[in-house]
Amino acid sequence: MTLILGIETSCDETAAAVVENGRLIRSSVISSQIDLHARFGGVVPEVASRAHVELINSVIAEALAEADVQFGDLDAVAACQGPGLIGALLVGVSAAKALALTLDVPYVGVNHLEGHLHAAWLQDPDVALPLAVLLVSGGHTMLVAVVEDGRYQVLGQTVDDAAGEAFDKVARICGLGYPGGPAIDRLAIEGDARSIAFPRPMIYEGLNFSFSGLKTAVLNHVRRNPDGDIRDVAASFQEAVVDVLVHKLLEAADISGAATLVMGGGVAANSRLRERLTEAGAASGRTVLVPRMDLCTDNGVMIAATAWWRLRTDGPTSLAGGANPSLSLVSTR
Amino acid sequence: MSILGFDTATQRVAVGVGRGGQVLGTRSLAVERQHAEQLVPTIRDLCQESSIELSSLEVIAVGLGPGLFTGLRVGITTARTMAQALDIPVIGVSSLDLVAHPLVGIGRPVVVVANARRNEIYCARYIPTKDGMKREGDYEVLPPDVLAAELAENDDQWLVVGDGVLAHADAFANCDRFESDDDHAMYPSAAPLVAIADVRMRRQEFCDPCDVHPLYLRRSDAEIEWDRKGR
Ligand SMILES: [Zn+2]
Repeated sequence: MTLILGIETSCDETAAAVVENGRLIRSSVISSQIDLHARFGGVVPEVASRAHVELINSVIAEALAEADVQFGDLDAVAACQGPGLIGALLVGVSAAKALALTLDVPYVGVNHLEGHLHAAWLQDPDVALPLAVLLVSGGHTMLVAVVEDGRYQVLGQTVDDAAGEAFDKVARICGLGYPGGPAIDRLAIEGDARSIAFPRPMIYEGLNFSFSGLKTAVLNHVRRNPDGDIRDVAASFQEAVVDVLVHKLLEAADISGAATLVMGGGVAANSRLRERLTEAGAASGRTVLVPRMDLCTDNGVMIAATAWWRLRTDGPTSLAGGANPSLSLVSTR
Repeated sequence: MSILGFDTATQRVAVGVGRGGQVLGTRSLAVERQHAEQLVPTIRDLCQESSIELSSLEVIAVGLGPGLFTGLRVGITTARTMAQALDIPVIGVSSLDLVAHPLVGIGRPVVVVANARRNEIYCARYIPTKDGMKREGDYEVLPPDVLAAELAENDDQWLVVGDGVLAHADAFANCDRFESDDDHAMYPSAAPLVAIADVRMRRQEFCDPCDVHPLYLRRSDAEIEWDRKGR
């Protein structure tokens, strides 16, 4: 039995988890900083970094207690080493390396994006490859083909804002709270998604995304129609984003020959996106896999699970390793 | 009683180990911004060389700043987490105290000045006593010329020292500057950290790992901006 502690501090969640043999979730603790960043309308890197320092040790203690594990039982310690906010990443990396040194066990630095991809296996160990994966959150909007474990192909990503960022910005334009995703999701249910023809940026232009122009279109619309129904704005904006995301995920599946559509990231919680993805899967004869929400958003489980596999294929990461805020997803096979 | 101490508040990483009131070994290396990369391997190597088993440590001492935010977080997170795993206490010491401490023999009042960037410095004033350097007043963050003007006004013969003096040589041109061939003297060093921790350990002046916090002195820009706009 191999027990790995996984630490994740790349953005605004301080998370730690204990995973057995890369699959069995013994514990998962996620401490969200949403309240700290709410008044700023987005994640403030320095505020996030400071909060991680204050939270990390109690989150680790809780993850061990929940798993009924002592420090001495751990076989390896892993941390997310990027991409993400550099100051935030370094807190998790420092904690993991300190533990690895003290406990004399391997340290494993994990790519955050690879972690998200591994959430699919955690949900369904027998999932059929290749996978077409849409990672969509406040930090990323990316299409990846998983050809086999360790072999990834980045098919497209956003050229400006992440989709979750667009939700936050539009929520602010509409005078809703932070985070914007849930607020818009709720409001959109009561609105008419076809009432306003917002653009579908780059929808027929390959697999990259752009959401900055859509956000501007919403801003202009709201300025021109100050008395318009905000529910219609929310519904029409959301529909535009969902149209683009679903269309491109299907295109990615066509290109990669994937029989399974996977979604990860915080925006995967959006009810309209889930509904449309389910429809698209059924219509195209593909399986849809959306990991449960606490595995979609940033968490320590995906770090520990990826580390288990990494450790077997590549061995430990040097204790001289740091963090890389713009680490990209690279195939290792 | 084995002690491990380290400071990461400046562009240096300083690590020291001690036992029974003796400093057994120290390392100081210029790291620019690579605190996270360098700290743990340096701890590992120094402990090995000094034959200190991590499991024999009774306390971990750490420099609290003020200084580079990211450096401080790396050092303090490392100290807290090692102590958590070893189930031992932590002793936090201001990084400015670590620059002042070795200068007690000079017998003069000292102002430690650390580079705070954005044309500001962190500083604290110290008076030599028979029990070592005693800090007077609070840790402050202010523009270098404001401190230099304050020092010029009173004739206490303050000696200025630290990497803030190097960074703002013009502002402190008319001050009495501490000169040394050893440029480590401008940065927090580990030997005084281990020595101070030894004394405090004997007095049981330590705390739980989670009770040491970085001395930021400055809030985040976002918070400053928030208040400035009066929201
Ligand atoms: Zn993420």
